Order: sequence, then C-alpha cells, then structure tokens
Amino acid sequence: MKKFRLVALLASLVLVIAACGSDDGDGTSTTAGGDTTATTTSDTVDLNQGSDLTFHMVTHSDDGTFWSVVKKGMEDACTAVGVNCVWSPSFNDPSKQVSDIEAAIAAGSNGIGVSLASPEAVVPAATAAVAAGIPVVTLNSGVNDYQSIGAITHIGQTETAAGNGAGLRFNSLGATKVLCAQQEQGNVGLEERCQGAVETFTGAGGVVTQFVGPDANPEEQINTILAALQADPDINAVFGVGPIVAFRAVEACSQAGRECFIGGVDNSEDVTAAIENGEINFTIDQQQYLQGYATIITLYLNNTNLNTLGGGFPILTGPGFVDTDNIAEIKALVAAGTR
Amino acid sequence: MTTTAPAAEAAAAPDERLAYRGPIQRLLIRPEIGALIGAAVIWVFFWAVTDVFGTTAGVNNYLDVSASLGIMSIAVALLMIGGEFDLSSGAITGATGMLVVLLVKEVGEFGGAGFPLSVAIPLTLIFALIIGWANGTLVEKTALPSFIVTLATFFILRGAKLGFAKLFTDKVIVEGLNDAPDHGFWENVFGAVWIRNDHVWDSFLGGRNVVYGVLLTVGALLLIVGVLELMFQRRETPAQARMPVAVVGFAAGVLGLILLAATDGTSDNWLWGIVLAAGGAVGMYGMGAWRYERRADSSAAVNLTGRVGRNVAMGGGAIALGVVLGLILDAESQTEIGFLLTVQGFRAIAYAGLIITGVILLLGAARSAGKTSARTQLAITSMAAAAIVVVAFIVQSQADSRKFRAEFFAVIIGAAVLMLAFGVLRSTFVERRKPDAVADKRGRTLAMTGIAVAFTGLAVRLMWATTFENETIRGEVRWRIAVFYFIGFAIVASYLLLRTKFGSWTFAVGGNKNAARQVGVPAARTKTILFMIVSAAGWLVGMLIAFRLNSVQANVGDGNEFFYIIAAVVGGNLLTGGYGSVIGASIGAVIMAMSFQGIPFAGWNSDWRFLFVGAILLLAVLVNNYVRAKAEAAS
Amino acid sequence: MSDPALLELDNISKYYGNIIALTGVTTSVNAGEVTCVLGDNGAGKSTFIKIIAGAHQQSEGTLRVEGQEVMFDSPRDALELGIATVYQDLAVVPLMSVWRNFFLGAEPTRGWGPFRRVDQEKASGIAKDEMAKMGIDIRDTEQAVGTLSGGERQSVAIARAAYFGAKVLILDEPTSALGVKQSGVVLKYIIEARNRGLGVIFITHNPNHAWPVGDRFLILNRGKSMGNFAKDEITRDELIMMMAGGAELEELTKELEAASAGDESLAHLAEEFAEEFHELEERVEDDDH
Repeated sequence: MKKFRLVALLASLVLVIAACGSDDGDGTSTTAGGDTTATTTSDTVDLNQGSDLTFHMVTHSDDGTFWSVVKKGMEDACTAVGVNCVWSPSFNDPSKQVSDIEAAIAAGSNGIGVSLASPEAVVPAATAAVAAGIPVVTLNSGVNDYQSIGAITHIGQTETAAGNGAGLRFNSLGATKVLCAQQEQGNVGLEERCQGAVETFTGAGGVVTQFVGPDANPEEQINTILAALQADPDINAVFGVGPIVAFRAVEACSQAGRECFIGGVDNSEDVTAAIENGEINFTIDQQQYLQGYATIITLYLNNTNLNTLGGGFPILTGPGFVDTDNIAEIKALVAAGTR
Repeated sequence: MTTTAPAAEAAAAPDERLAYRGPIQRLLIRPEIGALIGAAVIWVFFWAVTDVFGTTAGVNNYLDVSASLGIMSIAVALLMIGGEFDLSSGAITGATGMLVVLLVKEVGEFGGAGFPLSVAIPLTLIFALIIGWANGTLVEKTALPSFIVTLATFFILRGAKLGFAKLFTDKVIVEGLNDAPDHGFWENVFGAVWIRNDHVWDSFLGGRNVVYGVLLTVGALLLIVGVLELMFQRRETPAQARMPVAVVGFAAGVLGLILLAATDGTSDNWLWGIVLAAGGAVGMYGMGAWRYERRADSSAAVNLTGRVGRNVAMGGGAIALGVVLGLILDAESQTEIGFLLTVQGFRAIAYAGLIITGVILLLGAARSAGKTSARTQLAITSMAAAAIVVVAFIVQSQADSRKFRAEFFAVIIGAAVLMLAFGVLRSTFVERRKPDAVADKRGRTLAMTGIAVAFTGLAVRLMWATTFENETIRGEVRWRIAVFYFIGFAIVASYLLLRTKFGSWTFAVGGNKNAARQVGVPAARTKTILFMIVSAAGWLVGMLIAFRLNSVQANVGDGNEFFYIIAAVVGGNLLTGGYGSVIGASIGAVIMAMSFQGIPFAGWNSDWRFLFVGAILLLAVLVNNYVRAKAEAAS
Repeated sequence: MSDPALLELDNISKYYGNIIALTGVTTSVNAGEVTCVLGDNGAGKSTFIKIIAGAHQQSEGTLRVEGQEVMFDSPRDALELGIATVYQDLAVVPLMSVWRNFFLGAEPTRGWGPFRRVDQEKASGIAKDEMAKMGIDIRDTEQAVGTLSGGERQSVAIARAAYFGAKVLILDEPTSALGVKQSGVVLKYIIEARNRGLGVIFITHNPNHAWPVGDRFLILNRGKSMGNFAKDEITRDELIMMMAGGAELEELTKELEAASAGDESLAHLAEEFAEEFHELEERVEDDDH
C-alpha cells in the first residue's frame, strides 16, 4: 500500500505543485512553543512572572535539518522560562519576513529574534521594531547590522571565527598545507571561512584557496580537488567550506593516494556518519541550538531584568567541533534533535 | 505578335559553374575541425605549463569531468541541430538520479517503494522519456519557443527534486542506492571503475612507450602521406626512380624521432633534432618529386616589397625581440614590473606572445605572396620555420626537464618541418584543382588509417602505465565506465546524425522546418524524438552520478544546461540550428573540461577561472569561424 | 482533345466564411505544357495554389485529375496523384547538401535493423544525374544548397519533384525574388521540365516571364478570373493590360498626374507612366487589327 502511494505520487507531475503548496502551508506562522508553554506554565510555577510574555522568532528559515534544531532550541528555552513563543519561518522570502515582523509589532510582541540574511530588505522592519520599544536580538546572520538597528546583541557564529577554528584544528592535527575548497564563487561567507583559516593556520605550506565547482557538479568537484592535490604534493589537508564538498574531498584524496586531513562545515547525519568511520576528521558546528535557546533567554532577561547580554558584542555560538572524540555523544544528540 | 525570348537567351548562357573544392577544404569546413584545433592548442598550452596535465592522470581527470558534460552536450547538439533548446537538460540528470534512489530506498514514514534496481532503472528511463516527450509535444503543439517551454520544465523538475527529497527524507540529499539487493550487478553497468596503475608495461623493447611511440609515428606518417595525396595533382606516370628518396627521407626522420624519444633528456639532443628535421623534409620532397606534377611558374623571382615586405619585417622583428628578451631576462625572477607582471611572467609572454605573433605575421605574408610568386612564399615560409627551429634550440638549452628537452623540442621541430615541407611542396608542385576519385579515395583511406592508428597509440598510452609515470602522477588512474559511455554515445550519435534518415531529418527540421514538412519529413515527430534523446541522455548521466556517489543531492545538474549548450557551440554547432556535429560537441565538452581542470593543475588563482573560460570560449568560436570562413572562401 | 487534361479546374470557387477568395476559375494543364497563372498581389493566387496542392478544399466547382473528379483532403493526397508544389521560399534547406536536399523525406536506404543507413553513394549519384538532366553540372553533391545561386536552388526543387514522379508541377513565384539573369535560368528549367513531359503550372505576377514559356494563361484579379486563354488567343500586350487591370491602371495614371501637380520630379514620373500606358494601349489596338 505504501509502495503504491509513493509510485502514485512520483508518477504525477501535478503533485509537484501540490508539494509546493503544502510547503507554503507549513510555512505559515505556528505557535510552536505555545501549547507546551501553556501546559508547562500551569504544570510548574504559578509565580512565573514571564508567563504572559510572547516572543517572536522571525527568520529566513526553511524547514531543513539545520533550522529544525534552532526551533528546538527556542522551544526548550520557552518551556524552561515559561513564555509563549511564535516561530515564523520565511523560506528565504524577505518580503514575508518583513510582513511577519510587522505583524509581530502589531501584536505587541515582547521581544523579536530576527535573522538578517537579506539585510537591505529586513533592516528597516527590524529598526521599526526597536523604535516601537520592542527588544530585538539578531541570530544566525546579521553580525554586521545588529548594532545599527539597535539590537541587544547578535547570537551566531561569524564565518571568520569558523575559519579561525578550522585553522587551529588543522594545526593540532599536524597538517602542513591546506586546500580551502569552495563550492561557490563570490560568496562572502565562504571567502570569510577560508580567510579565517588563513589567519590561524601555522603549517609551513599555508592555505591555498580554490573554487572546485558547484555542488550541482559532483564529478567536477572531485576531479578539481584531485587536480589540485596532484599538482601540489605538499597539500595534506582539505577544508571543505560546505557540507557536501568535504565528502568530495574524501574521494579525491583516496584517488590521489594521499592521507588527507579533512574538515567540513555544518553538521548533519551524513557528516556524523563520515566522521564516525574516519573519512572526515572534523566538522565545524555552529551549535544552532544555542541560537534558538540563547535568543529567547536574552529577550527574557531583558524583559524581566533589563539585562543586556553580550555587552554590545556579538555572542558566538561556535565554532563547536564534531570529531572522532565526541562523535558518539553528538550522534545521540543529533538524533534527539538538539545538535 | 511581338515576342522576345529571354528563355532562349538564358539557355544559351553558360551554366554557373560551381567552384571546385578539394578534399582538404571540404574537411576544413567540417564543423568539428575548428574545435579540434582549439583543443590541441589548449592541450599543448596546459601540457607545457603544468606537470600533471599531460600525464595519464591528467587525461583521466579531465576526461572524467567531460564524460557527463559530453554525453549531454552530444544530445543537446542533436537537438540544437534540430533547431530547439532544452533548458531542462541539466535538471533531468539530477531528477533521474534522485528518482532511482527514491524508488529503491525504504523511506521513512512515507513508506519507500523499495523496488529492486532492475525495476527502478527502467522506470526511471520511462520517466525521463515522458519528460522528453512532454517537452517535445508541448513545443510542437503550442508553437511556443522551446526556451520557454523547457524553462518551465526546468523549474518544475528543480522544485520537484527539492520538494520530494524533503517530503520523503526530510533532507536535501537522498542516499542509500547501495542498499538495493541487486546493486552489485548494476554497479558494474553504471559504476564500473578500472584502476590501471598496476598494469605496468615497461620492458625496453616491448614497453608501452615504444608501442605508443611507434603507433603515433606511423599514424602521423600515414596522415601526412594521405594529405599530400589529397592536396597535389598526380603525375601521369609516377617517377619511380625518385621513390627511394621519399622512403629514405621518411625513414631517417622516424629514426631521428626514435633517438630523440630514447634520450634521457639530460644532454642536448640537437643532432637527433636535425636528423628528424632533415629526414622529414627530404621524405616529403621526395614524395612530391616521385608522384606529383611540377609547377610551371615555380621560378618567378623573389619579391619582398610592399605590404608583404612590411609584414615580413614586422614578423621577423617580433621574433627577434622575443628571442632577445627571452635570453636577457631572468627566468626565475619574481620581481614585479607593474601591471601584475613579474619578470618571469613578462619573459614568458615575450617568448610565447612575440614569437607566435611573429610566426603568424610571416605565414600571413607568405600566404599573400603566394598568390603572385611561389618562390617568395617559400622564402618567407623558410624564414618562419628557421625562426621556430632557433627558438626550439634555445628552449632546449635552457630547460631542465625531460619534457622540454626532448618532447616539447620534438613537437616544435616537427611543426617547423611540416610547415617548411608544405611550403616547399606547394611552391614546387601543382595543387589539385579538379576531382580525382582515385586519389581522393587513396588519400582519404591513408589519412583515416593514420588517424585510427594514432588513436590506438593514444589508447595504449592511456590504458597501460609505466613505472616512471606511476612515480610522477601522484595517485591512481581510475577509468570510469562513464568515459566509455561518452565515447560510445559519440560514435552512435554521430552515426545517427550522418548516416541515417533520422539524421537527415534532424538537419532539415533545424535548417528549414517548412521545407522539410513540405517534402514529407515528419517534423513534429523528429523534434519530439530529439527531445526524448536529450532526456534519455539525462537519464544515463543521472544513473552514472547516482552509482558513483550512491546518493544524489537535490541541486545536482541545475544550471549545467548552459554548459551543455556552450560545449555544443564551441564544437561548431550553430545556435540557430541546421548545422553542426556530434563529434564537435564531444570535443567541445573536452575543451570545457580541460579549461576547468587546467587551472587547478597549474595552481592558478581560481578567481580568474571564468575569465579564462570565457577567453577560451571566445577563442574557440573565433578559430572555428575563421577556419570555416577561410575554407569557404578558398578557391 | 482526345486525352483528358492532366489537371482540369472547372468553375472553382473558394469562400472563407463570407469572404470570397476565388470565384469561377476555370483552366487546365496538359502534359508537356505550361499553364501560367498571372495576377497581382491579392489576386487569389495563393488560394489557387492551396486548392490544387491539397492544402485547402474548394467551396464550389470540380477538380479533375486525368479526367477523374477528385477532392483533396491533404497535400499528401495531391502528392500521391503526382501534383507537386515548389514554394518560393520553402523549397530547400540551405545548410544541407545537394543530395540530402534532393532525397529529403525519401532517402534510399540499405542495410538492416539498426544498420539501416542512407545509401549515400546511390543518392549522390542520382542527384547528380538528375541535376545534369536539368542542365546543371553539380560536381560536388556534398556542397550545401545555400552556396548555389537562387535559380539553381529552385531547380534542385524542380528536379526533385520531377524525379519523384510528379506529373504536374506547381511553381509558386519561382522568379519573383531573382534578378534578370537568374530568372532566365529558372525559365530555362521550366522549359526543361515541360520538355520532359510534365505539366507545369507557373504562378507569377510578371507577364514578361510568363509569356515566353506559357502555353495557356489564366489571369486572376481580386479573386476573379479575367479569362483563360490559349497562347494563340491572346497577345503579350493584352496580357499585360489585363493583368494590371486596364481600367484601374488608367485611373492610377490620372491620380498620379493630379498628385504630382507642383512637384517636378513626381510630375516627370507621372508623365513617363502615362506615356508608357498609352503606348501599351496603342499596341493592344494594333494587335487587334
């Protein structure tokens, strides 16, 4: 029966549209923490002063694995302090994000967490929220703009910090020359990751940066990394600045017959599996659970105690590392949805 | 009745005769020739500036990249010749790859199909064919531009890929193809890999390099003799007494080449270079004296005045300046001299740029002089050849690698000799201006055999290893079955295009659809089949990717459709349809792959990659156009 | 006439809704004869072609092929009865070689199964021979048709139609896009085709092209037949007059004169035009006496 269902789904292109539609359906604002908060509040402490607070998380999130962890962090924090939380993902649509912010202001939100992936579109709305006297925290992306809009702080990982971490990690692994493999040209974030590694890496050969072809072209990525390895026998480490490109480096190193140290960025089930069986040495984890959790806590403390966490500086949630030492524990946490 | 008779007049007037175009010209207007020349130039360039590019590992690398690109660009070229585009051709590769994984996998709460591959793979092919059929039918029924229709298909596929991946697996990547029960069998079909490093063949007399060298030399020789036969007017009765001159000359040339190849590259090898040069030249001249008719006007005086003289002076000056700069500048100096150039870089440009410019100027002058005086043409050609030989010796004396001291040296000397010898022959013997079926057939057979033998040599070179090579290439040479699919598909598609009815119809619907329809060509069906060929090729590439990675990411293939079209255009296919070649598109794909992969091999900054790729694209298209224009204008 | 004509049109009319495209057209073409259909733009020539080529059906009247009454449902029906049409612009695929064009849609093949391939040698040889019969020496049948002259391109299409068993050849304005000399070449091929026993329907707006090759003339004006004459029933000048629509031409002359008042260069033109017209009129009168 289940088989039939899948085949029927795949056979019909019409369903594509249906699938898109259902995405939009999921995308509407849901009070994710609301129910649990309500029950928790009544279950636990009556004296909880924050019980009537409502915080809004308006992000450019899709419903991928990364953001589901952020959402889980938010829910857990809301449960812990007993507030209402609203999760509004915009699926990379800045105009939806703006209207969600405006809706939150109109609803008299007690605090807004906002991600600034498209600052030019979203900054005015976020500034308006601050002007309306609502505390704002930026999370995930927005480190360059949080001060100008008057947010309490930014909670996330800077790309440079991620690169710094990778450089240090390669130092301790004993790498002598690192290939920083980029999967996209002209992407500021990826450039900063490579640049960060350049800053901290102390091996004799330094870091060379190479665009290795887009994720859409796996064969090209493998062979470009391979070509770089064959052209330069000194390279013994590859820093793949995306989650996919690190996998490509595994095959390239095997074909080049070279023992490579391989590092990646971002965590997922596939990456944890590869780290577990020793193909990839580490991946940089920006611990996005913290981004959800700490945003709520910061907003909560600001509301209840006028605290401003961070002292005007961003709060870094990473780089955390997933490597062979902590993989067993991390794996359990990934399954639990908090890493 | 007053009647004039224009008809009678017209009948009395002579027919407009069609100019004779020799087999060489006819060959040159083949769409793939420009691409072939472009590929050769790019190959030599990267071979010279990198260590690995010219080795088996390098060839393996860019052929591997060109396999998927090539399979698709062949299909896209067929469709382009048929006058349409398919912008969904990139997305379909990922879509079919993803679909086969989803059909095989037991997926989570939605319940997987869990089919064996033997069911999933044909189902996926049917899916691809339906997409192609839908594209074709929509384009035909709506008469909308295929750009729009297939753009819609592209977005639908792209959305479906991401949507279904998320829906069934909650991830942007679907994996687990290798869990299928019959994965082993199908992996042999789509994912087979041959590692050839351990096939070492290097005993002195039977070693790979010897076999390869002999095959390549024999092939080149046959090709040259074939081209001579096609180019020149045969004598009524061959002067048999002069045959030995040709044989001895060629033999000496081959001997020189063998001795050059056998050197260790540590000492100067000018002697063998001279034997190669002299032998080759004497052989070709002997061939001419033996078989071809002499030019009556071959004794007109040398005349170096006017524009020809000016070009000769400029060309000679450029070469001299290049040589002088090359000699006085420090080859290792990294001192910046402005405009992002180091002394080393400037020297390289002086060497390559000035000398190449000089030689081109000289050859241009020779060409225009040839219209009036064969001797002048010869004199200038000799100058160019001499300049090249001088440069070859300088490079040899300065270089410290075997590649430059022996191989590069032999190539340059060989090029100079060929240039000079053809100059001599063209100024001494009559070029054929009329049809000669016997000579055409013989020449063509010789040339084709030569090419086949040379390619066999290359195959031997690629499929066996030597100990020396294994030490230098740093890694394994993994031949994937994708490369063989690529070559096989190129042959099949070329046969389809050039030898079958369907091929004729393809040209016709792209060239003039109404005319084709008028004479009974089923235009709609032809186009729909072409769309289906593209999506079936997408299916093949999807299978190759899926079996290579065992997983497929949702965005695989998106955006590649433009590279397929670019490869087809580089290969001499017209964007407007009706003209082109499958072999050209294959070569175009290899050119693209070489230009992408050459950059990491050279260790260059990849920021400039697209600038470089753009330049190569432009160059390829210009060369292509130039060659075709020249060939069409000839005689 | 003992033998029925190859193609006979009897009182053919065609309406598109309430628009009358063609009314009461009667003509015929015999084997080894050229019937010229003359008319200015909008005279109904294309409707005429479409009916006999099978693209459209007549609304009234009968069409007879070798005495048999027929009604075409599609161009294929017409083709099967040996009526082949050579359209002015649609005749050939310029980027394809002569032999591929010649055999397009009817390629001879050899071999079996997947190895069934086009018999290039045979096709190339036949194309060369057939073109030679038209008086064109194609040395290299691999040459693209686009490199041939305009007249030769038309002749490829004519030779092709003749080879594939056409009995009636409809030529749609084959000379309209060509220069004087090229037109002459095409006229020569029309005569060649006629001499080989084909019936030719030659559609043109140029009486100077029609007169020397035609055996019969059908003149159309605004969808109406102005007459269907054998060559001995009409003179060249009458043909020109009729075709231009005598009365209309006279009016046009007057209008031109009126419009040109004050404009010297235009006046000059009007004068010339009037002069030519009167000369033509006089000649027609002379011919009649």
